[in-house]
Amino acid sequence: MTADQIREYLEPRRHEFADPRSLVLPALKFAQTGRGYLTREDMEAVAEATGYSASYVESVATFYDRVYTEPVGTRVVSVCVSMSCQLRGADQVWEALCDKEGVDHHHGGTSADGRITVQEAQCLGYCDRAACIQVDAEETQGPHTPDSARALVDELRAAPDPDEYWR
Amino acid sequence: MPLLNSVYRQREAGKPLVTLDDYRAAGGYQALPKVLAEMDPDDLQYEFMRSGLRGRGGAGFPMGKKASFLPKDSQRPKYVVCNADESEPGTFKDREIMEFNPFQLLEGITLAGYAIGAVRGYIYIRGEYEHQARVLDRAVAEARAAGLLGTGLFKSTFDFDITVYRGAGAYICGEETALLESLEGKRGQPRLKPPFPAVAGLYHSPTLINNVETLAALPPIVEKGADWYAGLGTEKSPGTKIFCVSGHVMRPGNYEIVLGETTLRELIFVHAGGLRPGRRVKAVWVGGSSVPPLGEQHLDTPLDYEALAAAGTMLGSGGCIVMDDSGSVVRTTLRLVTFYRHESCGKCSPCREGTSWMEKLLQRIVDGQAGPDDLEMLKALFGRISGRTLCPLAEGAVGPVRTALELFPDDWADALENGVPVPEPMLPVSS
Ligand SMILES: Cc1cc2nc3c(=O)[nH]c(=O)nc-3n(C[C@H](O)[C@H](O)[C@H](O)COP(=O)(O)O)c2cc1C
Ligand code: FES
Repeated sequence: MTADQIREYLEPRRHEFADPRSLVLPALKFAQTGRGYLTREDMEAVAEATGYSASYVESVATFYDRVYTEPVGTRVVSVCVSMSCQLRGADQVWEALCDKEGVDHHHGGTSADGRITVQEAQCLGYCDRAACIQVDAEETQGPHTPDSARALVDELRAAPDPDEYWR
Repeated sequence: MPLLNSVYRQREAGKPLVTLDDYRAAGGYQALPKVLAEMDPDDLQYEFMRSGLRGRGGAGFPMGKKASFLPKDSQRPKYVVCNADESEPGTFKDREIMEFNPFQLLEGITLAGYAIGAVRGYIYIRGEYEHQARVLDRAVAEARAAGLLGTGLFKSTFDFDITVYRGAGAYICGEETALLESLEGKRGQPRLKPPFPAVAGLYHSPTLINNVETLAALPPIVEKGADWYAGLGTEKSPGTKIFCVSGHVMRPGNYEIVLGETTLRELIFVHAGGLRPGRRVKAVWVGGSSVPPLGEQHLDTPLDYEALAAAGTMLGSGGCIVMDDSGSVVRTTLRLVTFYRHESCGKCSPCREGTSWMEKLLQRIVDGQAGPDDLEMLKALFGRISGRTLCPLAEGAVGPVRTALELFPDDWADALENGVPVPEPMLPVSS
């Protein structure tokens, strides 16, 4: 993402904030929609577009779970492992997906083909649909079982890449 | 007692109200023109106060009283901030309001804005609610186009607009001062209080921060009157509250009840469909994961602020997590502590280190690796964490562990002896 593209996104929003620093997080989220994570160049572009230093921008970026500063898969699949989901089989769903994608049970990770990142999530606010899974930040679904979760990942793998990555 | 779906209109209507026409047809946007034509801001604040509405985000502070704390003579612009970070495990009521009734929230924020003389409202919504954020974006655009946001609302001199601001995955940003930091474009870490946000909040300006459910209650309060609202429920817990029931129940979901009229037993067994046949209630975290658990002996407690406090817990966010006797108190407590360890922002050492130590000790107990001193060490940690941090996140981790130890001593003794095997989860109930 270039600084000009980021500026163009921010411009109509600028008047909504008394301090332009508030634009840093929206800029990071927008910059991330290009690739699904932020490269060093993306971070520098955010810095240029917002007028803050690259190190400041990075210090904000690294605070948030959903701003990725390392490469992730084409789709990020978040498995909620908080209490309500745990009671409804989240650990079993988590282990099934980790095994299917060949990543370890402790940290999750990205499949060898780079298509799917499996990560743990804390309560996603869909406890009524436990055990639930979120695909990027756009769609949360459930209740899932190990089988339905594996089927979901198969579907995602076959689906075309999204135009924008909102995570 | 039956449900009372009278405050949150999507419940009364029995269907989503996502367009302005839907919301208007359900009685929406009657309060705002009435207020702008007939009431001055102080009268409106007084109306909020008289309704007795208490904050639904967790702490239960009276909404009207908080609005009255904003200085009247400040030269700085004032703001309303709607806390839509909803990340407390077990809580999913704000999601329903935003997704299915966004305009009631916008009208509520606008009313609050008028009452305090604000120039703008911000909805700080957790990043994981991208879908709901888009619903709000569309609603804001529609309201603007219809002249319900912008300049000179209903030909008055009141100018007001609303900005939807997305978070990016951090439970701590639900804490009001961390939220403000995040909204100001910084790392979302809590501030030292005082000053309170009412005096120096967003951009150091006077700021009213309320939860989604709190603000969405304002339009019906104005329309039907503060007396009507105050007449529901008990003297200290007026009105209705949405409880989110999840865990080992047959019909997980949101249920709006009149405070003080319904017991925990009715909530679980009548509204949420009860448990699987042959199961009994083991533990219930009635107000989200930050509140101390209750046991089967507490099921007849009425659901209101005072009765729940007397039973040793808190109403909190209303996120009621139910566990039956197939579950393990010890394992679930570990899971709860893992959450706080993960979400500790790291600013205060007692919280950052303390939650990590609690998790390690609990993990040892679950794994059957604990020594005889480990439980004592766990208890000794409580006092080194509690009351030594800037915000109550750490307290949310300590309280439930402390109470779980008190209420279920046999489970802990057994765990120390044998560890805790992974219990069989309750799988989806076919629908
Ligand atoms: C760690 C922590 C997390 C919180 N998360 C939320 C939240 O997600 N939503 C919310 O409305 N309040 C949350 N609160 C409470 C807020 O700090 C604040 O009290 C609330 O937004 C005030 O609104 P109310 O008076 O309408 O409840 C949290 C508090 C703490 C300490
Ligand atoms: S516990 Fe999984 S969505 Fe709330």
